[in-house]
Amino acid sequence: MARSNPNISARVACIALLFAGVAGAQEFSIQFASPVAAQSYRMKQSAFVFRTLGCADPSTPEVAAIAEGLVNYQRRSVPLKILPAQTPNVYGIFREWPSEGAWVVSLKAKCGAKSAGAIVVTDEKGGFAREASTVLNHAPTAAEVEAALKSGKKTAP
Amino acid sequence: MRFLKWHASDKLAAYLDNQLSAPDRVRVEAHLAACDRCRKELTHIRVSDAAIHRLPLVSAPDGLWSAIEAAADSHPRPPHPVPGVRLTWQYTAAVFLAAMLASGYWILSRPSRPAWEVSALNGAPLAGERPLQGLGSLYTGESIETDSASRARIRVASIGSVVVEPGTLIRLVATGASEHRLALRSGAISAVISAPPRIFIVDTPAATAVDLGCEYQLQCDRDGAGALRVRSGWVALEWKGRESLVPGGASCRIYPGRGPGTPTFDDASPDFIAAVNAFDQSGQRGALNLILDRARTRDTLTLWHMLSRVNAADRIGVYERLVALAPPPASVSRHQVLALDADTLTRWREELAWIW
Repeated sequence: MARSNPNISARVACIALLFAGVAGAQEFSIQFASPVAAQSYRMKQSAFVFRTLGCADPSTPEVAAIAEGLVNYQRRSVPLKILPAQTPNVYGIFREWPSEGAWVVSLKAKCGAKSAGAIVVTDEKGGFAREASTVLNHAPTAAEVEAALKSGKKTAP
Repeated sequence: MRFLKWHASDKLAAYLDNQLSAPDRVRVEAHLAACDRCRKELTHIRVSDAAIHRLPLVSAPDGLWSAIEAAADSHPRPPHPVPGVRLTWQYTAAVFLAAMLASGYWILSRPSRPAWEVSALNGAPLAGERPLQGLGSLYTGESIETDSASRARIRVASIGSVVVEPGTLIRLVATGASEHRLALRSGAISAVISAPPRIFIVDTPAATAVDLGCEYQLQCDRDGAGALRVRSGWVALEWKGRESLVPGGASCRIYPGRGPGTPTFDDASPDFIAAVNAFDQSGQRGALNLILDRARTRDTLTLWHMLSRVNAADRIGVYERLVALAPPPASVSRHQVLALDADTLTRWREELAWIW
């Protein structure tokens, strides 16, 4: 009966653990959703909610949001307040931008050296258009925001 | 001590009406400062006075006076006062004072009845069987009834409002810091509530709608069949341990004797919604297959509810479809889901809500 080499077994186990660790480590990212996802009645009037994922230290992520609009061919920007939910790393965005024109919300987050972003396309009902919105592995660039505003469609990650 | 032997009873009404001379007023006020009895009496008079002013003015029916006069004429008056009773002004004043004290005591000692402000939006709804014109009050135990042409708005304490649609009968069951409860007998309401979960509750004959912070429309008929449509937030529909959690953008039917059905998003395809309704009513396997086949990512709302509503064999198929549409987080295991572990199902639902 052949016996396994203990050194080889140990190496295999180490490699398996390494792969498992890499596979389990979640990339730092932003996820946005309908207000119901926040599980909080305080968020029910929000346009949408978002959360950060994959940041090892829950207190680390820094988040910012700006509404970027195109109103009568004029570009406008409205810095937005971000309301934290009771659940850590979950935030609400409330409509502070005018109803006229086309608007997207540019989200960016930082966790240490890592960045993440999203461009959320808003709809005329005060909510957001999930399919037209996108998540990014970096803070949205000016070009990506312009492209999202002009096309109203998904921008490249 | 001679001063305290005198009481100001006969001057209190005039004092309240500001009809005393300045010296008398000073004298009464000085006495009130030192006399408990007169202060209490003054309070009773004030309360009674306020109660009388709150009474609505009602016109006497036509012909009342002529009826009284006719009755009086038909009974000959006694030639003398009733023996043993001399109706002096002191006697009349004493009777009046006793009545005032009794009514004041009754008003002070009765339990207060909480009321909600109600207003008529259209037509003439009934609030507590009183025709409602403009603003009114709805007390605990009273109902609002609208006919086919009337609507009303109820202000739910300080947490929101309910519009009572035409053809509705709804009763205020309880209101307090921890619970505001209505009973919808039949008809439809639209509620906009901003309060912590489980503060605002509406009973229907076949289910209880528990507000989890939301805007919704709820309707039912007298048999209990009905529907809930949620615009924002969450509503829990509960009945005998069966619960449907309905988020904004979704609806749920209510079945007499069976409670809440399975919620579906309003933008789901009509055949998907029809299959869910058919499954709720008859448990048809064909309907289940169609549900699994047509479900979109967002329809995991429906599939998640079905996990606990199908038999153990079918549960595996529902679970596998759910996993294909939205893989569960690491904290949710297949074994625990199939065993219907409550904490595991809650964790998965909260995660699924990010795609709903």
